[in-house]
Amino acid sequence: MEVLKEKVEEEEEAERAERAEKMMRPMEVRKEDTTRTQEMLRDLERKLSEIEVSIPEKPSTFTKDAIDTSKLPLSYQSNTPKEEHLLQVADNFSRQYSHLCPDRVPLFLYPVNECNVPKFVSTTIRPTLMPYPELYNWDTCAQFVSDFLSAVPLPDPLKPPSYLYSSTMVLKHQEGNCFDFSTLLCSVLLGAGYDAYCVYGYGSQDLCHMDLTREVCPLTVKPKEMVKEEEKAPPKKYAVKPPRDLTSRFEREQEVKRQEGVKAEEEKRLKPGERLAEQESAKTDPLHGLRVHSWVLVLSGKREVPESFFIDPFTARSYSTQDDHFLGIESLWNHKNYWVNMQDCWNCCKDLVFDLGDPVRWEYLLLETDKPLLSLTEEEDDGTNDDDDAENLGKEDEDKSFDMPCSWVERIEISPEAFETRCPNGKKVIQYKRARLEKWAPYLNNNGLVCRLTTYEDLECTKILEIKEWFQNREDMLELKHINKVTGLNIDYFKPGHPQALRVHSYTSMQPEMDRVMEFYEKVRVDGLIKREETPRTMTEYYQGRPDLLSYRHVNFGPRIKKLALNSAESNPRPVVKITERFFRNPAKPADEDVAERVFLILDERIQLRYHCREDHLTASKREFLWRTEGDSKGNKIIMMPDMCLSFEVEPMEHTKKLLYQYEAMMKVKNEEKLARHQAWESELEVLEILKLREEEEEARALTISIYDTKRNEKSKEYREAMERMMHEEHLWQAEAQLDYLAPFLAQLPPGEKLTRWQAVRLKDECLSDFKQRLIDKANLIQAWFEKETQELQKQQQWYQENQVTLTPEDEDLYLSYCSQAMFRIRVLEQRLNRHKELAPLKYLALEEKLYKDPRLVELLKVFV
Amino acid sequence: MNRLYDMEPRVMDDEMLKLAVGEQGPRDEARQLAKQEGILFKDVLSLQLDFQNILRIDNLWQFENLRKLQLDNNIIEKIEGLENLTRLVWLDLSFNNIEAIEGLDTLVNLEDLSLFNNRISKIDSLDALVKLQVLSLGNNQIGNMMNIIYLRRFKDLRTLSLSGNPVAEAEDYRTFICAYLPDLVYLDFRRIDDHMKELAEMKHQCSVDELKHQESLMQAQLEDEQARWEELEGHKAAFVEHLNGPFLFDSMYAEDVEGSQLSHLPGVGELVQTYKDKFVIVCLNIFESGLKQQEKRKAELDTFMGCVQEAVQEKQEQGKHKIAKFEEKHLLTLSSIQDESELTNFEIKMAEHSEDITELVNVLVTLEMQLVEQLEETINMFERNIIDLVGLFVENVQSLMAQCRDLENHHHEKLLEIAISTREKIVKGELDEDLPDAVRPLFVDKDTIVNAVGASHDIHLLKIDNREDELVTRVNSWCAHLVDKIHKDEIMRNRRRMKEINQYVDHVQSELDRLECSDLLD
Repeated sequence: MEVLKEKVEEEEEAERAERAEKMMRPMEVRKEDTTRTQEMLRDLERKLSEIEVSIPEKPSTFTKDAIDTSKLPLSYQSNTPKEEHLLQVADNFSRQYSHLCPDRVPLFLYPVNECNVPKFVSTTIRPTLMPYPELYNWDTCAQFVSDFLSAVPLPDPLKPPSYLYSSTMVLKHQEGNCFDFSTLLCSVLLGAGYDAYCVYGYGSQDLCHMDLTREVCPLTVKPKEMVKEEEKAPPKKYAVKPPRDLTSRFEREQEVKRQEGVKAEEEKRLKPGERLAEQESAKTDPLHGLRVHSWVLVLSGKREVPESFFIDPFTARSYSTQDDHFLGIESLWNHKNYWVNMQDCWNCCKDLVFDLGDPVRWEYLLLETDKPLLSLTEEEDDGTNDDDDAENLGKEDEDKSFDMPCSWVERIEISPEAFETRCPNGKKVIQYKRARLEKWAPYLNNNGLVCRLTTYEDLECTKILEIKEWFQNREDMLELKHINKVTGLNIDYFKPGHPQALRVHSYTSMQPEMDRVMEFYEKVRVDGLIKREETPRTMTEYYQGRPDLLSYRHVNFGPRIKKLALNSAESNPRPVVKITERFFRNPAKPADEDVAERVFLILDERIQLRYHCREDHLTASKREFLWRTEGDSKGNKIIMMPDMCLSFEVEPMEHTKKLLYQYEAMMKVKNEEKLARHQAWESELEVLEILKLREEEEEARALTISIYDTKRNEKSKEYREAMERMMHEEHLWQAEAQLDYLAPFLAQLPPGEKLTRWQAVRLKDECLSDFKQRLIDKANLIQAWFEKETQELQKQQQWYQENQVTLTPEDEDLYLSYCSQAMFRIRVLEQRLNRHKELAPLKYLALEEKLYKDPRLVELLKVFV
Repeated sequence: MNRLYDMEPRVMDDEMLKLAVGEQGPRDEARQLAKQEGILFKDVLSLQLDFQNILRIDNLWQFENLRKLQLDNNIIEKIEGLENLTRLVWLDLSFNNIEAIEGLDTLVNLEDLSLFNNRISKIDSLDALVKLQVLSLGNNQIGNMMNIIYLRRFKDLRTLSLSGNPVAEAEDYRTFICAYLPDLVYLDFRRIDDHMKELAEMKHQCSVDELKHQESLMQAQLEDEQARWEELEGHKAAFVEHLNGPFLFDSMYAEDVEGSQLSHLPGVGELVQTYKDKFVIVCLNIFESGLKQQEKRKAELDTFMGCVQEAVQEKQEQGKHKIAKFEEKHLLTLSSIQDESELTNFEIKMAEHSEDITELVNVLVTLEMQLVEQLEETINMFERNIIDLVGLFVENVQSLMAQCRDLENHHHEKLLEIAISTREKIVKGELDEDLPDAVRPLFVDKDTIVNAVGASHDIHLLKIDNREDELVTRVNSWCAHLVDKIHKDEIMRNRRRMKEINQYVDHVQSELDRLECSDLLD
């Protein structure tokens, strides 16, 4: 280990030196520095050549060649003068920085974009608030970015890339490296109002390769049960003293000790195996501490963020700033400024102080006024700071009023379809430690599956422990299916809205009369059933909120009696042996008359009743009915005997001793037994029904489509189209209705003059006569058609009668068909004519009426009416 | 109405009732049982006695639980003998010769009353029937429309029949009733439609509104009185009633003839006024402290009761748990004993179970004894505290009362001074003002005036002492009573619990014994 670390360090240094030489202009560098570096350079070059650096192959499908740059907006292809100025400033900054900190790697300041134009990193961030409510909080934003893009490793894992594409381009191609990820995420977070920064630094191998195989899947982690420590109320003034404890304290202590010993031993036995497995999987990384990574830092303050934290954009997980995965920070930036870390990262990021107003710790590029300045509580002098002269970096030659130009990137837009599809092609697989998570876009799978988590027993992921499947938009409201492969237990969870109000259904097989538990949404059910548990021989039901206050029913079944004629299961129900029913207390009744439990022992012909306990009593009344169906010695039917009802009463009462009372009570209870048996039978039927329904639903796999989903909902689409059509028609009709029947006549009059009475009357008469003419014309037209058709027919008939003998059957057929058609036409014309004759006077009157009411004429015509 | 006495009137005797009960009792198989055992009158829920020529209602006092009583088509002339039937819900007295409504004051549960075809001329004496829903008064002789206003007090009344009365002949009979009884749904066996309601409202709105206004005024007055009464009750509970004002002071002067006479002396008026002011302030002090102390005592009592309740509840839960456990075992053992065929095993099991029972008794009694000890301690503590509190209050009151007495003494001295000086002035003839004639005789000589002032003083002191004594005795007796009650309650509780335990154990034991017997018989 030790050797390796050294090696790595040397390598690191060598590389830095190399780069320093390349980048550094011949400037005033201290002599001893140069000599030292040059000596070491040679020395290390040798060593370096010995080390093999495994460069991961780059499966890049998304290269610059593939992008058609000509179609991009102008801001992508060139720089504005302000941006040019900024680049000069950055260049100056970078030169001074490399001069003052020669042993540090060059800054990531202005990589080229997709059009080969250098762009300053801060201007690549385009703060955007997304129009989706889901993208308002950081966790969902990060999840979206990590889902939406597929990760591509950096071309050189030890260097930042030489290019940085715009977020629009990245979104279009749905892939990018860690810098693309963090730029996009930072843009979204800034848009949502967070104080977010892109960070360029060093991460662990797992982080850079998006390797989660050593992480426990967050979905498998069970939420820690909140152990509520019940606050002990302060003992009241008159609280009674507990009775004296007479057990030995020594013995108790010994017992506790013994148990602890046993527990410790067990733990010891368990541990070694697991630890071994863990170690095997964790291999050390030769490039530890050198892998370049980019992530997002969210500072506390805005949006009620209580504490600063990192977000890894690849995995969308948040880490504390002290996490082991983050090994160092070079610089960070947001859309307004760029800061270089001046603190030592020997202890990863654990000692870093994120007070960006502190110029000793964070060297800024642009002078800014709105950044909080150094907080006063920090001690001014930090011993670890070895770049004391860095603060002399010349800001004075910069334009004080210079601020960051606007982003050159176009608005970040995500279409609703893309937002819903999320992952590229709508599918994503993540491998966790002993777990595999698969995600799909909704409606991609025809059974509504959106997520599947497979948990394995071993690290190699060969033995499946359990499978959890999440569904969406199922017609049967299935939400989650939990399959335990070890016990074979299936648990289905449903959202509210299942036709049978099912909430949870756990079963091992879909066959009836097996072990199963069904839970229901009891408020939806008329009978208030909460839960029904079944085993091959029993059925237990729990109720809540019933008017008869039934809370529990337990049915024991006996073995099925074999009948000679075996029909089906339904016609041969299992015999009921015992039914137990429990009730809540009915406050309207006295406790001695309020039954708490009824037990029907059907085979023994016995019924046991237990009543509720009185408030200040320990014991409850009981009553037991036994009846004998056989007659007495004389053959008379026994109605009631004192020994048929055994009762214990907390407070003996007189009237209950009476045989009549007992007889009536027994009759009542017998009736109730019948009812209970019937209900048990109905419950059985219901189980069968639900099972059948479930099977059908599983087969149908129907998905629902929200009425708000305008794209998918065929019905609403049809409806909408129909509505549009109707609107259109209505529009046409209206246009027609607005046809001005007076217009042609008004046009004849001199325009702009008021109508005189004489003119109005004439106008009206003209209009009416015109209309009358039209009606007559129409009638004549129809008449003419009618006559023509009749004549034609007559001609044909004549012809037929003349040539009847010589006609071929085909011709005859032809003739006959013609005749029938002609007759039809004639009939239609006749009808139309009649109709016209009927309607014409009405239409005429209607127009007259309308004319009288016409606003232009009404005043003038009124007198005559 | 004009039915003739065509048959001999019959007396409601035991025989008739028994017959009716027997006939109207349970049917079929149950009837055999009923015959066998007989039915007690107090178990009867419904009784029908129509067409019996009954003249006088009698002998019904045993039917305590009767819900429905039908006495229609008789010749009853007076409603009587129904006082004991307090659970009655339905009473039918139609087709009788009743002339006045009476004797229904105890039937608070009555919902349905039928007095159809009688000779009633006035609706009244129904005040107790707060749950009345159906009232049938058709074919009577009610002639005054104002009788209907009487029915406004029955908030649940929905059905009314009055046809066949002189009032029903009035022109606006229906509208009048609808207007004055807006909640009514059925009138004379017909549903009141909305149209009718509107019509009625239009017609009688003015008078109804006036009536409503009066009623609301009355209601407000009643409530006011109630509130005042409650406040006074609260003060009484704090033992400081009538101390929040000049009541005590006024009562001091109420019986004091001399005092009022003396107040006519020059300068005495102002003196009395200042005295009164000071006195009232002290009284108010007593009042305030009384209320405060009352609250304290109440809080103390509440905590105590809560704690006792908690302790009892806890033990009760433990006991219940133990019994439930035992019960389970008990059932199993009983059945196993029943199945046992060998005599030796049988006996062993019996013995074992007997031991179990004894064990249960021990556990339950131990729990109870623990509770008794705990409670005793707590009760003693509470007793000490409450007595301390009361003592404190009494001391406080006494010191304040002493202040009152001081004020009185002071006032007395001043008054005496004035009286003597006045007397001197009179003697010297220097008195400017005229004295009322009643006062003059007091100044005949010095002794008389001193005696008069002294008498007034004595009366005042007596009043103050009396008030103080009353307060102290009452608070002390309250305290003693409370403590006594707590002790008694605890004893009663203990006895009840012990009785319960014994009863239960007896029952369990008897179950076991029965097994033994049956086995021996086999």
